Amino acid sequence: MLTNAIASYIATLCFAVIFNIRGNNKYWAAGGGMIAWVTYQLALSAGISQVYSLLPASVLFSAYSEIVARQLRTPVTTLIICALIPLVPGAGMYNTMFAVVQGSTTEAIELGLKTLGQAGTLAAGVAFVSTIANLITRVRRRLPL
Amino acid sequence: METGKILHIATYAGQIILENGGETYRVEETISRICKSFGIEVAEGFVTPTGIMASASKTPADVRSVIKRVKHRTVNLEKIALVNELSRQNVLNPLPLDVFYSNLVEIDGKKSREPKVVIGTAAIAAAAFTIMFGGNLADALSAFLVGLVAKLITTSVSGLGVNDFFVNLAGGAIMTFLGLLSVWLGLGEHPSLIIIGSMMLLVPGLAITNAIRDTLAGDLVAGVTRGAEAIMIAVTLAAGSGIVVGLWIQFLGGNI
Repeated sequence: MLTNAIASYIATLCFAVIFNIRGNNKYWAAGGGMIAWVTYQLALSAGISQVYSLLPASVLFSAYSEIVARQLRTPVTTLIICALIPLVPGAGMYNTMFAVVQGSTTEAIELGLKTLGQAGTLAAGVAFVSTIANLITRVRRRLPL
Repeated sequence: METGKILHIATYAGQIILENGGETYRVEETISRICKSFGIEVAEGFVTPTGIMASASKTPADVRSVIKRVKHRTVNLEKIALVNELSRQNVLNPLPLDVFYSNLVEIDGKKSREPKVVIGTAAIAAAAFTIMFGGNLADALSAFLVGLVAKLITTSVSGLGVNDFFVNLAGGAIMTFLGLLSVWLGLGEHPSLIIIGSMMLLVPGLAITNAIRDTLAGDLVAGVTRGAEAIMIAVTLAAGSGIVVGLWIQFLGGNI
């Protein structure tokens, strides 16, 4: 798990560099990627399916990004774009393609649907948190807290 | 006169955001915000991922409009953050129009990181992804080399102005070929992990994020467009990879 954590931190940090995030923000963005990947791995090892494991992972990293972005006074997207990368179902995409090339249509459809499901779960998690965050901002603006 | 000038500057700010990977709703908000901070109350933008249409009017008789086509899109999140900050600051304490404009020009002129730095970090990222997916050190080393060569080629090809879909197709093919080759040469052990690790460099993370956020903001046209972009990137990447895998099995056989 430690190897996983370090590798995901480095991978996300590299993406933050490639996407031109400067200063300390890139280390924070990398933290989001690490949270995403470690949560995903923990959920998988708890026996949750490959599709549903993405939900806690995406909810946690988006919540982290929303909070940190407000602290750093930077747009939330700059953090989410980097932190989301480790969870993009690249492996599912590759395996689907592989099944297609080998001519096993049933397997390809199964894997393809699973990959779409993963992408959908990822999107749902991000959407959920972002809606809640907007709601909180709006309520705060209306009520002097 | 002034209205037109303000609108031009506002759409210029929007253009910087759009060209560097920002969401379309952010561009619309920024245009209205900048116009309002310079005293134009009625200003709206309609933005799609490929262009900006905006109009502003101080009096009902004086309506100005600007259309800007966005052709080149890269990713530079720093510029988005800077334009965003500049436009928000301007609401609180407005700068003179010329100073605001020269700040925008300065942001737009900021250089992205050197290609060699980007290529090197991409190679490290590919190695890290391979380890995350369960590869060993030999696999990580192969992925490093595959990522290095593939990113070098895709960067130089897209520098020549080749369209993004072909770049992804070629990228997927090159990464797969080099991944298989590295195992064939005895460098790596698990070809699929090496290939997936390096292909993570090209997955449509930005398009997915923007598709979600634009859809949530009610920007359905942009949301659907970005979603389609994400699917097309994924499909071209898989197709490029599939062509090579197919040929490899055909001619060299063996278990991949």
